[in-house]
Amino acid sequence: MTTIAEISITPAGAILKGRLISTADITGLYREFAGDYPKFFKMDSLCKLGFVAAEILLKDISAEEKENAAIILFNRNASLFTDRNYQATIRDNNYFPSPALFVYTLANIVTGEIAIRHKIYGETSFYVVDSPDTPLMEEIAAGAFLTSSPSFILTGWLDYDDDHHYEAKLKLVRK
Amino acid sequence: MESVMIRKIADNILSPAGLDTIANYNYVLSLGTQVRVHDNAFDLPEPFCGSLFLRDKILARAKECIPNSEDYTFFESLCILSACNAIAHAQMNAATANRIEAASDDVIFILSTTKGNVDSLENDLDDPRAYLATSARKIAGHFGNGNEPIVVSNACISGVCAQIAAVRALLGGKYRYAIVIGCDVLSKFIISGFQSFKALSPECCRPYDKNRRGLNLGEAAGTMILESCEEDECCNSDWLYAASSIHNDANHISGPSRTGEGSYRVLKDLLQVVDNDEIRFVNAHGTATPYNDEMESIAIHRAALDNVPVNGLKGFYGHTLGAAGIIETILSMKALENGIILPTIGFESTGTSYPLNIANQIGQCIQNGVFIKLLSGFGGSNAGIAWRRDPNRKEGGGL
Amino acid sequence: MENLILQLKNQIIEALNLEDMTAADIDDNEALFGDGIGLDSIDALELIVLLEREYGIKLANPAEGKEIFKSVASIADYISRNRKK
Repeated sequence: MTTIAEISITPAGAILKGRLISTADITGLYREFAGDYPKFFKMDSLCKLGFVAAEILLKDISAEEKENAAIILFNRNASLFTDRNYQATIRDNNYFPSPALFVYTLANIVTGEIAIRHKIYGETSFYVVDSPDTPLMEEIAAGAFLTSSPSFILTGWLDYDDDHHYEAKLKLVRK
Repeated sequence: MESVMIRKIADNILSPAGLDTIANYNYVLSLGTQVRVHDNAFDLPEPFCGSLFLRDKILARAKECIPNSEDYTFFESLCILSACNAIAHAQMNAATANRIEAASDDVIFILSTTKGNVDSLENDLDDPRAYLATSARKIAGHFGNGNEPIVVSNACISGVCAQIAAVRALLGGKYRYAIVIGCDVLSKFIISGFQSFKALSPECCRPYDKNRRGLNLGEAAGTMILESCEEDECCNSDWLYAASSIHNDANHISGPSRTGEGSYRVLKDLLQVVDNDEIRFVNAHGTATPYNDEMESIAIHRAALDNVPVNGLKGFYGHTLGAAGIIETILSMKALENGIILPTIGFESTGTSYPLNIANQIGQCIQNGVFIKLLSGFGGSNAGIAWRRDPNRKEGGGL
Repeated sequence: MENLILQLKNQIIEALNLEDMTAADIDDNEALFGDGIGLDSIDALELIVLLEREYGIKLANPAEGKEIFKSVASIADYISRNRKK
C-alpha cells in the first residue's frame, strides 16, 4: 500500500503531512476548514473528530475518485463516550431516552457521516482494537484490496476518550 | 499457483430455541417463534416484544461447560458456549478433525457485536468490561489463543462484515482458520434506544408485509469456522466463499436510502461473480420496519432479482443484531443443503413498491448452488456475501 | 402564547443542536422540515422526547407528529391545548 496523505489531530492541534496546520480544537478546525455544514453540530464528538480529519484529508480529491473509496477506521473506545451520555438519559428517575444520542452509540456512524459528506459509496467499516500500535490495522486495510477494488482507502486510528484525550491518525492509501 | 479457497467447516447457533445448529434448524422448520411480549424486562417502563434467553438456563450451562465461568459476563459466556460447540463440530468433521486447534497460532478469532457488554454501564460508567477489545481478548483467551482478535462493530451489518473480515484474514495467508462469533445481548440500553426510534413492533414482526409495524429485537449467538484450503483439498459438499461486498448509501445515518443505493451496489458486485441462475434464494435483512423492507425491495428490483425467492428470518428470533448475519447465514446453508427455502413467517401480502418473490412457506430448491445473505444498517451501511455449494464440482478440481 | 413560542424556540435550538441559530432566526410559521429549517427524521424523534420531557405530552402515535411539527406555531398550539406540566 502507498500512502498519499496523512493527518494527525489531538488536543494540541492538527498536523498534515508532517506540518502543524492549526492548534484549534475540533470545533475550531471545523470553522477553519469547513464551516458550511450545520449537521456537524448534531454529531457526537467521535463523528466531529472524524469529520474534520476527513475534511482536511479529502480536500483535493475528485468526486469521481471519492465515489469508489473505502473508509476503514479503528479505535479502542468504540462509541463509549456517547454510550455514557446516552446511559444518563435512561436513569430510572429521569427516563427520557434520546434518539439523537442513541444513533451515535454505534462507532461506525462516523464512517457514514464521512460517506454522506463526501458522497463515498464504497465500503465503510469500523473495527475495535486494543491500541493504535497493532499490526491488525495495516493487515485489515490491506485485506480490503483482496476482495474489493476501492480507488483508495481512508483508514487509521480514530479514538475519542473525553474532551482532553482524543486522537485521529488517519491516512489515504492506495493499493 | 493453486487457487486458495475459503470454506466453512463448522458452525453453531445458540438461541433461546436451542443450543446447537440442528436444534435451531429444526425449530425454524417447525415454524415456531421465540418472539413474545415481555412486560417487565430490564425495568423498562413500556412492554417490549422480542426474544430473550432464559438467563438462569444459560448461566447453569456456562457453569457446567466453562471453568471459572464466574469470570465471564453473560455476553462472553454466550460467545464461549457457541464457539465451544462449533469447535467440537469442527473436530467431528472428518476433513479437518486432526488439524484445528483453537489455541494455535494459525487460528484467529473474529467477534461481531454491536454493543458487547454495554449493560455493564448501568452500574458503573467506567466499567472496563464495556471495552469490546477486552471482551474479545477474554473470549479468545478462554481457548488459549494469543492472537489479537478482530472486533467488527458495524451496527446491523456486523455479522456479514465479520465473515468478510475472516475471508480477508485467511486470503492474507497469515492464518488457516478463522473462528467468527456473532453475539449481542439485550439490555435497557439497547431496547430503550430502539423504542425511542419508534422502530419496534408491538407484535411479532411481519417482514415485507403490507401491515408490518416495525422490528422485534432478539438475543442469540452464532459461530462459523472458516478454513483456507487448496482447491484440491475441498470436497464436493463444502460451502465455499464465492463473493462479498460492502457499500454505503451516502445518504443518511439512520434512514434507509430511498433508492436502495448501497444495497443495490452490493448486489451488483455479487452478480459480477455469481450467475443469476445459480442463485437459489436471497436471504435478505427483512427487519419489518416500513423503510428497510421498502429499500430492499427497490435494491433487489434494481438488481433484476425480482423473480429470485427472497426470505427474511427475523420472525423466528427477532433481529439479533451482531448475531443476525451469522445465524441467518448458517440457517440458509442448512436449508440449501436440504433443498429447502425457509419461509418468511409473518408475511402475508405484499407491502413494498416492488413486489418481491417472498418465500412465505417452506419451499424447495436443488441442493447445490448459491445463496446471498444481505444486510443493511445504521450508518447507511450495506453488506452482502454469496456462499456456493457445488456437489457436482469435480473432485481434485483445477480448471 | 408569545412566551411559550420563545421558550419553545430556545428548547428546540438546544435539543437539536442548531448551533449558530438564535430564536430570532426562526419564523413562527416557517416549515421546520424540508426546505425551511431543514430538520430530519431523527430531529422529529427528538421533538417527541422534548414534548414529553418538558410538557408531559406523550404522542401516542408518532405519525401525528407530521401535522404537529409543521412549524413552531403549530407545536406551540398543540402544547397549549395538551400540556400536562
